[in-house]
Amino acid sequence: MSGSLIDLEELLGRVENDRPLMRDLMLIFKEEFPRNWQVLREAVASRNANGVATAAHTLKGMLSNMAAREAAEAAAKIERYGRNKEMEKFEEGMAHFEKIAEELSRQLDARLAEVSA
Amino acid sequence: MRILIADDELTSRRLLQKTLERAGYDVTAVENGRAAADELCKVEGPKLALLDWVMPELDGPGVCRVVRKQKEQPYVYMILLTSKEKKEDVVAGLESGADDYLTKPFDPEELKARVRTGKRILDLEGRLVEAREQMRFQATHDALTSLWNRGVIMELLGRELARAKREDKSIAILLGDLDHFKSINDTHGHLAGDEVLKEVARRLLSSVRPYDFVGRYGGEEFLMALINCDPIHGLIRAEDVRKAIAEQPIEMPSGRIPVTMSLGVLLTQEWGSRPVEELLNEVDTALYEAKAAGRNCIRVADPGTHSQRAAEPTRETIRRWH
Repeated sequence: MSGSLIDLEELLGRVENDRPLMRDLMLIFKEEFPRNWQVLREAVASRNANGVATAAHTLKGMLSNMAAREAAEAAAKIERYGRNKEMEKFEEGMAHFEKIAEELSRQLDARLAEVSA
Repeated sequence: MRILIADDELTSRRLLQKTLERAGYDVTAVENGRAAADELCKVEGPKLALLDWVMPELDGPGVCRVVRKQKEQPYVYMILLTSKEKKEDVVAGLESGADDYLTKPFDPEELKARVRTGKRILDLEGRLVEAREQMRFQATHDALTSLWNRGVIMELLGRELARAKREDKSIAILLGDLDHFKSINDTHGHLAGDEVLKEVARRLLSSVRPYDFVGRYGGEEFLMALINCDPIHGLIRAEDVRKAIAEQPIEMPSGRIPVTMSLGVLLTQEWGSRPVEELLNEVDTALYEAKAAGRNCIRVADPGTHSQRAAEPTRETIRRWH
């Protein structure tokens, strides 16, 4: 796992240096991400391959928008497992994703505190 | 310009909306494909759309297919947003009717450039539609008066006569000719003559109902078809038309020009299956009778008898036709 999971420079470029918008996106992400993460957890637990693919796809989109490349790649991997119905890989993919997602959430809180200051 | 964004993911929607609003677009954002299709199928709906590929209810390609089925609607330019990079996915998206695609996460400059491309194509389409409508108008209307031209008014009359026969309704056919128009041209010049024809056209249009037809039949001859008009009202309406022309002289820079119109009128429900040309011959004969009777008057043709009556919408006339 690399140091910073959110590429702030890339994110600023994406919002065209609109810092209030960046903060808005972070706040939306902070609210939406745990909900979608939980949907993915439930789909993995119930071994619902389509559900896994859909939830992982949504997370991948959100994470890409937030310039969180490593987390987006982890979500993309789970999406692929879901589409290919490789259920035996769900737990392994999920464990990797959870680790990154937890760190990402911590970093996001720190970033939010910075941009709100 | 209005743009529709359809994406079920809130950060994407927010990012797209802000980026496009900052670029000066008026954005409508929805969160599923069904709502997107509903918006885009509205007559006054947005004409440019950014559609996420994967959405609940209806996906992006599904929205494209629904919109493309609306043949009569103005063109909608649709861009699919996708994280699918496989060639076959892109081909499938474009086959569904999308015009372009953009890979997520998008670069704001690329997004704006793609939207500008769409706008250019829509502007071009708008100009083509406008040119086509202009050509259609020119092909069907008289260039001077903007009334229906002779070919079209004859076609409309034929169609309405067939409908009247089918539905057992009546039509009043009025053929009017300006009196002494040559002397107006000779005295005031041809430009003034043209202005007189234009003003006469305006008066004719304002003295009939919106669903009646008025056309320029020849130089100073005008043909009118009054739809669902029984004989009694047809004669009253013909008199209204005559008065609309005669009551007020036409104001011109060179002075006031008094203008009158003689009218031949055919009022009947007994069309049988007689061709339009035959009926028009009768109205024409009635018009010449009106001219011979001193002009600025109406003569009614009796179908099949080729004889004309002096026409005043009097109580006696109305009683006779009842």
